[in-house]
Amino acid sequence: MRDRNIYLIILAFIVIGPFLQPRVTVTEMLIFGIVAVASNIMIGYTGMLSFGQAMFFGIGAYVAGLLLKAGMPLIIAMPAGILFVLVLSIAVGAFCVPRTGLYFICITFAFNQMFYFIAYSWTDLTGGEDGLAGIPRPSLLDDPVSFYVFVSVVFLACIVAMKRIVDSPLGLIFQTIRENPERAAAVGYNVKLYKWISFTIASTFTGLAGTVYAMLYYIVPIDQIHWLKSGDFIFMTLLGGTGSFFGPIIGAIGYIWMYDTFALFWGRWPLLMGVVFVVVVLYLRGGIVELIGKVNDRYQRARGAP
Amino acid sequence: MAGLLECHALSKNFDAVDAVVDANLEVAKGSVHSIIGPNGAGKTTFFNLISGEVPPTTGRVYFKGQDITGLSSHQIPHVGIARCFQRTNIFPKLTVFENVWAALFARSNASALELIKRVSDFGEIKDKARKIISEVGLEKKLTERAETLSHGQQRLLEVAITLGGTPTLMLLDEPTQGLAPEATQEMTQLIQGLAGRYTILLIEHKMHVVMAISHLISVMHFGHFIAEGGPDEIRQNEAVQEAYLGTRR
Amino acid sequence: MSILIAGQVLNGLATGMLYAMVGVGLTLVLGVLNIPNFAHGTLYAFGAYFTFTVANWTDSFYLGVLIGPLLVVLIGFVIESQGVRRLYGAHHDYQLLFLFAIALILQETVILIWGPVGFSLLPPKNLAGGVDLGFIVYPKYRLALMLFTATLVVALYLLMTRTIVGAILRAGIENREMVKVLGININKVFLFTFGLGAYLAGLAGALSTPIWGLTPSMGLDILPICFVIVVIAGLGSILGAIGAGIIIGLAQSLTTVWWPEASNVVIYFMMGLVIIFRPQGLFGSR
Repeated sequence: MRDRNIYLIILAFIVIGPFLQPRVTVTEMLIFGIVAVASNIMIGYTGMLSFGQAMFFGIGAYVAGLLLKAGMPLIIAMPAGILFVLVLSIAVGAFCVPRTGLYFICITFAFNQMFYFIAYSWTDLTGGEDGLAGIPRPSLLDDPVSFYVFVSVVFLACIVAMKRIVDSPLGLIFQTIRENPERAAAVGYNVKLYKWISFTIASTFTGLAGTVYAMLYYIVPIDQIHWLKSGDFIFMTLLGGTGSFFGPIIGAIGYIWMYDTFALFWGRWPLLMGVVFVVVVLYLRGGIVELIGKVNDRYQRARGAP
Repeated sequence: MAGLLECHALSKNFDAVDAVVDANLEVAKGSVHSIIGPNGAGKTTFFNLISGEVPPTTGRVYFKGQDITGLSSHQIPHVGIARCFQRTNIFPKLTVFENVWAALFARSNASALELIKRVSDFGEIKDKARKIISEVGLEKKLTERAETLSHGQQRLLEVAITLGGTPTLMLLDEPTQGLAPEATQEMTQLIQGLAGRYTILLIEHKMHVVMAISHLISVMHFGHFIAEGGPDEIRQNEAVQEAYLGTRR
Repeated sequence: MSILIAGQVLNGLATGMLYAMVGVGLTLVLGVLNIPNFAHGTLYAFGAYFTFTVANWTDSFYLGVLIGPLLVVLIGFVIESQGVRRLYGAHHDYQLLFLFAIALILQETVILIWGPVGFSLLPPKNLAGGVDLGFIVYPKYRLALMLFTATLVVALYLLMTRTIVGAILRAGIENREMVKVLGININKVFLFTFGLGAYLAGLAGALSTPIWGLTPSMGLDILPICFVIVVIAGLGSILGAIGAGIIIGLAQSLTTVWWPEASNVVIYFMMGLVIIFRPQGLFGSR
């Protein structure tokens, strides 16, 4: 499907969405849409499975939240949060990226947990177990509609930017690394460097989404930085489809929909998520995008297309 | 006269195994220089020592007079050496075009700013890629994913990716591996077409290919280079016969 | 003060040996099957909860510790044969994600079956109370635990180094393809290894109950520790996992003497140091 058409569908979703679901839900879908697409740059394009994305999401949220609470305007709080995550991801990436495969997963996982514990213990700064509460929204965004417009704009800007990155030679280099790191090096690419770049890009955009999230419910709950959340992010990406750029957006939408539909009624809802996850991993590894493709194929065949 | 590639006392020792012992090889510019030897003789390891996949235990490698010993595998293409692999080592889910494009782009000296452009915007690289793909005969498969190609076509793609490195020296590791006679003929003709324009260091098992296209042949046996000469010399060399056939006269 | 430190050293050893047990379980699965078992923590939790139920049912702690972990092995067999095995053809990330999803399911199942509130389990009567060691009076159970775990470690070591089974496992860690080529049924090896890993996790969980009690989140809490052990020890090193487990246990316990809040985070700093100065792990070779 042509990119332009996909953008139209996305725009339609943004406009119509709030009429089909609570505005807050759609806002969350957009925020986590950014996270899912960003994480996919690492997971789907570069082939790096990280269990640590939540740390960047959480830290972006905490930093922006703290600055907003301190009275900083958004124009400072948000870029500061993004910059903080950028620098942090470069540092953490330096440790993690040289490791591959399982080791990479273990290390991103452990880093994630380390930051979780720092957030948990440093109660004076982060609110500890209770989370960082009382985050003010800038007055300009303090009504639901204008905040929604703001998030939509941020979402679109991020998606366009990441699409540009993925369509550029950088995106192709990432894919060569996923396909065959040995050959990628043999044709002249410094694989570690490009993995590092991929890690940083994915993490920074994830942190950006975090800075917006801080304002959504006026609180940063501590579970947003827990390693389980990293698993949720992977789930979103996989559910949508790691093989496409836009697929993870569908995954984020699906995840938030499931969460908002079930989590309120059933405390054990992660079990449902686990079951869906198992189904996807066993039978539908291409995610919803693959499902759509299969349905479309059947439809085409039924039409008697050549 | 100094060769394009010179190996001085190159050795590789893996714990108990001497994979390559005291290799002194000189490859003349523009020539097709073949390395032959029984399985396990150390030929691929020798390539790995040159292309940076494996660091040598002792010895040095010179290319165009420069000491390139110990450069890592991603630095080697930038001095002008490109290699293909014995087992097919392509980018399976990328298209044929993207496979070659990636190799070309790595060598293109594009600045960081140009990374904002789309892949399709790089006209010059696109043309070069098309040319290379035509040269190896895969133009009909331009937009096909590499994993859908037949084994023979994938071997051609291997060579195409290697050409994408715009090398001065090509290291070809058994390009005809697993190919039927007809495809072998195609590959041989391709390499013959490349000779002269590129310097080629070739590992091959198929004797008729080696004899047909090589200017110089070096023979490896248990990590040692035991003979070197033109095709006729090598054909008649006793040490070589012994290495291959295990006979003692 | 020195009594406090002595006590904490002993605590650290006891904790460390439990950590070592879970850590070895994870290392085995990681080494032979090449997957980080994200469900490992929940197997630990199930070990504890099964033991709790059986112990209460039969009024015998020992029966609980005997049967509980065996039930966990059953779960492990099911997971491996029905799920992990099906994904061998696929990219191995999917096996990992499958196990993560299983962890979610198992985690919630614990709460479904046993409820969201924690429990406590008393040690058996003959191991209750303290022992006067001269410089300190120390819980009998923890001493017994250390003794038992040490014996188990020796038994495991003998299994790995003196038996054919152990040789196959070590070979599998070194080179899986070779094991297949030798004609050994790799599926059986994987199943056995996964079961053994599950057993160690379940046993550790069972034995931990008199010390830490049971909470629904115990599975989620122990998993990061397992990963830190694996990183510090080095991939594929069983002895290393034992050593690393003990080191971490001691580090945690001793940190509580001077800086209690940092006791959770200190192990991650240690991991960081290992990554910087010895990336292949303290005892690893790769």
